[in-house]
Amino acid sequence: MRLLIVEDDLEAAEAMVKGLAEAGHECKTAPDGGAGLAAASADRFDVLVVDRMMPRIDGVTMVERLRAGGDQTPVLFLSALGEITDRVAGLKAGGDDYLVKPYALAELIARVEALARRRETGSVQTLLRVGDLEMDLIGREVRRAGREIDLQPREFQLLEFLMRNAGQSVTRTMLLEKVWEYHFDPQTNVIDVHISRLRSKIDKGFDKPMLQTVRGAGYRLEA
Amino acid sequence: MRPPRLFRTTPFRLTLLFLALFAAAASAFLAYIYLATAGEVTRRADAGVSREMQSLEAVYRRGGFAALNQSVIERSSADRALLYLLMDKAGAPISGSIAASPVHDFEGDRDWASFVLTQTDVDGGVVKRPARGLQERMPGGELMFVGADVGESESYVVRILRALWGAGALVIVLGLAGGLLVSRNVRRNIGSLTDVIEAARGGDLGARAAVRGTGDEYDELASGLNDMLARLERSIGGLRHAGDAIAHDLRSPLTRLRARLEVAMIEADAGRADPKLALHQALDDADGVLRTFAAVLAIARLEAAGDAPSQTVFDPGALAADMAELYEPLCEEKGLEFKAELVPALSLKGNREFIAQALANILDNAVKYTPAGGAVMLRVRRRSSGDVEISVTDTGPGVPESDRGRVVERFVRLENSRNEPGVGLGLSLVAAVARAHRGHLELAEGPGALDGTGPGLRVALVLPKVG
Repeated sequence: MRLLIVEDDLEAAEAMVKGLAEAGHECKTAPDGGAGLAAASADRFDVLVVDRMMPRIDGVTMVERLRAGGDQTPVLFLSALGEITDRVAGLKAGGDDYLVKPYALAELIARVEALARRRETGSVQTLLRVGDLEMDLIGREVRRAGREIDLQPREFQLLEFLMRNAGQSVTRTMLLEKVWEYHFDPQTNVIDVHISRLRSKIDKGFDKPMLQTVRGAGYRLEA
Repeated sequence: MRPPRLFRTTPFRLTLLFLALFAAAASAFLAYIYLATAGEVTRRADAGVSREMQSLEAVYRRGGFAALNQSVIERSSADRALLYLLMDKAGAPISGSIAASPVHDFEGDRDWASFVLTQTDVDGGVVKRPARGLQERMPGGELMFVGADVGESESYVVRILRALWGAGALVIVLGLAGGLLVSRNVRRNIGSLTDVIEAARGGDLGARAAVRGTGDEYDELASGLNDMLARLERSIGGLRHAGDAIAHDLRSPLTRLRARLEVAMIEADAGRADPKLALHQALDDADGVLRTFAAVLAIARLEAAGDAPSQTVFDPGALAADMAELYEPLCEEKGLEFKAELVPALSLKGNREFIAQALANILDNAVKYTPAGGAVMLRVRRRSSGDVEISVTDTGPGVPESDRGRVVERFVRLENSRNEPGVGLGLSLVAAVARAHRGHLELAEGPGALDGTGPGLRVALVLPKVG
């Protein structure tokens, strides 16, 4: 997919471009908010990665203007400010996700892909399907190959998030943020345990395991 | 030249202001008394003069000019306080006790006049006294003047005025003295506070103002100042300590990281080893450094914020239930029994995110240190004081009593946590969260030694009640 990286730290931008290119994405860069606005209006991108603190027009202002102009391209904010208030300010300005510096490259890639995916499946879905796994969002039912799987409410939410991002890596932090709505970094492997529980429910007794661990990144639900 | 310091104090200025106000009020009062008294004196004299004039008129009506003349002569010679003068139609004196009428330019039939009476007293000196008089035209056309010496009454008024002025002067002198006294007193009290502030400004944050225990406003100010200095001292001490701790805890892994990369480069140059392993280790090192850094930063920001930002009222039981749901599978996986006792529908005011983070840190520690077969218990309850207590009890090795105080202190464990940067900082962060909510962190022994485990640890986050 096509990405625009608006970041005043050119070395950081370069590293990002390399990493994202490695993951198969095409990137353009802009060194500040003004250039970012110009690039965003001149071209079509799937996701904008915007640094919050930049000289002249900062990230928040840039995204506010972008949104005021009717551009709804998903925006991922990068910021050294990680307090909850900073996060809220970023999301209020029109950001769709918020990643605190320093971050792992895998985390950045996973979030960018999740944002692009969300845009693709913009319409309201009532039935999610990944391979032979089906989730009925209205009846709150999950079936694999026609066999009903009984899930706890949180497991249901976890699986829903994984299914919406099927085929892509999701990190532990993303899961904690999006499923549990916490923004801290747990020192223990709390998330892994929840994943392994879910895995035992959806993969046990089937030949092909769907919920895979991605080394150094997190997890991926694969058809 | 500047006035002496004492005269520049606020109480002294206030005294001056009040004196000025008092003097203005007193002057207005005096003026009123003067006008009222003087007016009364004139009115009385006028009434006496009018009565005399009426009686003389009556004499004239009854006996004509001759009777009036007779009466004026009699009255003038009698030792009366009034002055008389009978004049003919043209105003030439006929009889009376004064030589000429003080009424000039007489027009009409009746005219009042104020004038100065010049008399010679017994010693031959000239005395001037204020007087008032009435001149009237008699029915036959003759002019009759009756006057009264008001000097006696006026001097009485003057005496009153003099007494009042004296009293005013006394008040001003006493007021100034009182003002000086109050100023000195205030300056003495404020002076000790100023000394403390001066000392603090000079870098001595250990200076404290004396609290006399009288509970007055100076005491309040002094204890407020002391409290502020204590907070500042702790804050700056913490920063100093944090600086050392960060240097220590970040420098070691960074050194390790650098060495690893250097060795990997040498080995890769020589074609002896695959640099991939070294890179993986370097990444892990970097992550460790970043985690420590994030924790230190979070603590520092919390400390700097004073009170936690973005506080809302929420149910701590619901939050704990959420966390229980998050951690329960982890406990099960580790072979730990997990129990939660949560009193519902309590309310707590605070930053939900910080408190969740604090609780996660406590639970992380409990899970990490409790050996398999043990138990972790999460409890939320209200203390009799109304404070909300969120506690986690485990059956792990616990913390020796002598170390418990130190563990809660910020960054202390950093020195001992070389290999597990998260641990010591974890509790430091919890303590910082507690302080940012004006609560505190309590560490106690768990359920006691049992089957070779224990004695366990009970960590309680105590947060003040709402309102």
